[in-house]
Amino acid sequence: MSESRPTREAYYRVLADCVSNETLVVTSLGNASYVWSNVCDRAENFYLEDAMGLALPLALGLAVSQPRRRVVAVEGDGGLMMHLGTLITVGSVAPRNLTILLVNNNIHAASGGQPLTSTELDLAALARSAGIDGTEKVGSLDTFRTLLPPALADEGPTLLVLATEPDIPPVKPAFPMNPPMMKQRFMDAIGVPRYVPAMFRT
Amino acid sequence: MNEETSHRPSELLAALKRAGVSVVVSVPDSWIGVFMDRIDEDPDMTLIRATHEEEALSISCGARLGGARTVLLIQNVGLLTTGAGMVCLAQRYQFPVLILASYRGSPRDPVFYHIPKGRATEPVLRAYGVSYSVAEADLPIGAQVERAATFAEEGSAPFVLLLDGEDIRW
Repeated sequence: MSESRPTREAYYRVLADCVSNETLVVTSLGNASYVWSNVCDRAENFYLEDAMGLALPLALGLAVSQPRRRVVAVEGDGGLMMHLGTLITVGSVAPRNLTILLVNNNIHAASGGQPLTSTELDLAALARSAGIDGTEKVGSLDTFRTLLPPALADEGPTLLVLATEPDIPPVKPAFPMNPPMMKQRFMDAIGVPRYVPAMFRT
Repeated sequence: MNEETSHRPSELLAALKRAGVSVVVSVPDSWIGVFMDRIDEDPDMTLIRATHEEEALSISCGARLGGARTVLLIQNVGLLTTGAGMVCLAQRYQFPVLILASYRGSPRDPVFYHIPKGRATEPVLRAYGVSYSVAEADLPIGAQVERAATFAEEGSAPFVLLLDGEDIRW
């Protein structure tokens, strides 16, 4: 009998101990964002509430435009399958500052626990084949504690496939999530400019 | 008028550089392929070749989130495939993304297999609630790009400029 897999929250608590003020964290929809908001809310988090499958490409764009900061993308296996091509784009662009944490719970948790189209895919092998050489499988918190610090420090992109216990019931987020306000909070925290103030341009 | 300013793709590229665009995310079309190469050769711009237009839209949003001025460069069929990302991400989070789309299947591009895409493009954009304009052939393309970029920023929303082959095909 196999040992039970760690929960999302347990992984997150390890992550919370490893992020610095410079680390930017992008979380995908549902509990990926809701649980992280409870464990480690900070202005440098960008929470997606919806837009399934788009957390990783968004984090890729962020990594390209913020090359001096480490960007962490928390994506689910179901979300990744919606845009599997993004792995290829990440491998092609090869941002040195991108770390991907792939929550591998073998279900569509955010939509109620439906099975994935396939649970047989070797996601780590797919990532390596796409050119993401720094890919490892994680099945325990001890392994995560060992592998996460170098994954956050090494030249990326790096990717950890986290075998995770499913968490289907939605967890109440730490606060009501207002997308434009969260985006503005994030951009203010990292000092992102607004372009072309047309009326008052000098 | 000299040769440089009469070449609309060159004007368009110059306008992007004047606007400080540093990241261009693209999925190819035969009209935009060489334009992509010109961007790829430019030391001040990064070209990201994405696998799907919705993925490309999200990359653009992420790059803008990080402060880079970005352009999404796609064929208009990509406006049909970006639907979920357009409403759930770009609009819901109010990302000012300038989208330059080759307008295949328009009355100026009567290629039979593009025509259904051309017929659907503007009604779909109106259904999304995304602002757009069709590039005017008798006006300089650079100024039209600048206005489109300004509209996206001031409106905190995506804006689509639909381009004819003369505008973008190098």
